[in-house]
Amino acid sequence: MNQHILILVLNGLTQGALFFVLGSGLTLAFGLMRIVNMSHGAFYLLGGYMGLTVLRLTGNWTVALVAAGLSIALLGLLVERGLLARIRAGGDLSQTLLTIALSMIIADMALAVWGGHTQSIRSPAALSGPVTVFGFTYPGFRYVLMAISAAIAFGLWLLLYRTRFGIAVRASVDDRETVSALGVRIDIIYSLMFMLSAFLSGIAGVLGGTYLQLSPGEDTTILTYSLVVVIVGGLGSLMGVVVSSLILGQILSFSLAFAPQMSMFLVFVPMAIVLAVRPEGLFGRRL
Amino acid sequence: MTGTLLQGSSLRRLRLVVAIAVVVALVTLPAYGGQYTLTTFIRTFYFGFLALSVGLLLGQGGMISLTQTAFFGISGYVVGLLGAERGFPFPLPELAGLALVAVVALLFALVVMRTHGIVFLMLTLALGQICWSFARQNTSLLHGWAGIPDIQPPSIFGVDLTQNANFYWMSLALFSLGLLFLWRLVQSPFGLALNGIRESPRRMSALGYPVFWLRVAVFVIAAIYAGVGGILAAWSSGIVTPTALQLSRMIWILLIVILGGSQYFWGPVVGAVIAVWLDVIVSQLTPRYNTVIGIVFVVVILLAPNGILGVWERITAKRRALRQVPAAPPDSNQ
Repeated sequence: MNQHILILVLNGLTQGALFFVLGSGLTLAFGLMRIVNMSHGAFYLLGGYMGLTVLRLTGNWTVALVAAGLSIALLGLLVERGLLARIRAGGDLSQTLLTIALSMIIADMALAVWGGHTQSIRSPAALSGPVTVFGFTYPGFRYVLMAISAAIAFGLWLLLYRTRFGIAVRASVDDRETVSALGVRIDIIYSLMFMLSAFLSGIAGVLGGTYLQLSPGEDTTILTYSLVVVIVGGLGSLMGVVVSSLILGQILSFSLAFAPQMSMFLVFVPMAIVLAVRPEGLFGRRL
Repeated sequence: MTGTLLQGSSLRRLRLVVAIAVVVALVTLPAYGGQYTLTTFIRTFYFGFLALSVGLLLGQGGMISLTQTAFFGISGYVVGLLGAERGFPFPLPELAGLALVAVVALLFALVVMRTHGIVFLMLTLALGQICWSFARQNTSLLHGWAGIPDIQPPSIFGVDLTQNANFYWMSLALFSLGLLFLWRLVQSPFGLALNGIRESPRRMSALGYPVFWLRVAVFVIAAIYAGVGGILAAWSSGIVTPTALQLSRMIWILLIVILGGSQYFWGPVVGAVIAVWLDVIVSQLTPRYNTVIGIVFVVVILLAPNGILGVWERITAKRRALRQVPAAPPDSNQ
């Protein structure tokens, strides 16, 4: 029984690790640009498929991970420069609507290219074996996923709080006009942040595609989970995403075990509670 | 001066003639239209209700809600559960469905109306997805993906609605009633207060309007419109599945409203007619239907954010301006 609970906790941590990679990208772009990228889930799915194809070509999982991240980052750059920047004057809602339309197109094109059946990325042989710690055995790849997620969290913290770029980003969140009056090219910061966000969703696609699976429709499920993570944590807060993805990971894991018919439903319960008590989210500022 | 007045009244007369022609064409459609055309129009009506629901919130209240397909699905499921499965007679399952829609909408509204803008949009998306995931995962009551089949439209006052033509007329009448009620609503003090809230919630609040409760009320009314559409859809298609609540469906409806022109009363209607027929045509041509729709969506947002009616208004306004100002010599404005 204890063993069983431990497995559920570790499953929850794995799920939470994936949630963090997804939620951090979404919340960073929102905090700065005030747009919610509704194609985040489609980016995730496309990233996963890209990884799948690169893995088939090269046989190297790490190359697939990086290639997926970079290709989605490039897509993010095109979307930001080519579309979003054009209607910035139209306000954040029309930008958000545009990303909804994009998600439809991306998901449909992915269906055309990669087909409608469920696929999975094979985890790297060196990392996929079961790992036994203190007489307890658990799939090794899941530890890898947790480690990657933790590394990303640390990297983002370094980027935002220990670099000049991070200072510019955080200052822009507070006061765009002053920052751009100080000579910072805010449009370049926007593009870079959107690329970073897209990069993270692309990586998440490979991680999720290895740990779970890839199929059409997964994009909206992932988008929903990402939104819940971000809403619970508080829009724009990195710390909020850390906490909320840990909580939601555990809830999903335990509800899958004990109430499989309601697992998705139960994930939304903390969101309802948080919103009723603190509409701005756990770590968010009032909007 | 008299010339423009005459033109104004002739334009109005033209509009009246067109309106009468459209009404006559719609009412007599079963006489000359095929079964397929009738079914497509019935689809237009029930998706039209859904579009009116989204349009009411977006156009009058300035709120983009992604929950509306959930209400469409809830009423459909109740009709299936109580009518098709338990055998309750006609008005009971339908009324129960609308009642449940109203209750759920009220509960949701109490949560979402504390927010605005993008947070509102995200929240309504998440709430809609809760309902969708419940319908998808619950096998014991709602049968998961399989849904509830064998839903039959009833006979009302001896009129057998399983006949396609009767069903068409009933939908047409119901949709017209829905439009009429909405028209009255929009013109009423309630509708004007909503417009005020869209422009400036803070000012309306300062003027003493119960902003929160007005927004809650419009959310419930919009949900009932979606619920009526859901009942029609369940009757017409004979089955209700989680697809009714799907996000892609919701996005499609949002596109319909924006395509038609969300600020205009007729926007959702124009959008629904165009989108349903586009649906029929495009899906015959290519399986990449969603890509085509997505591209249309992008183009509309980029180039014509006020939709087709917005473009129409711009064109007619330009033509009117050209007519009113006699061609001036080219150097006069320099």
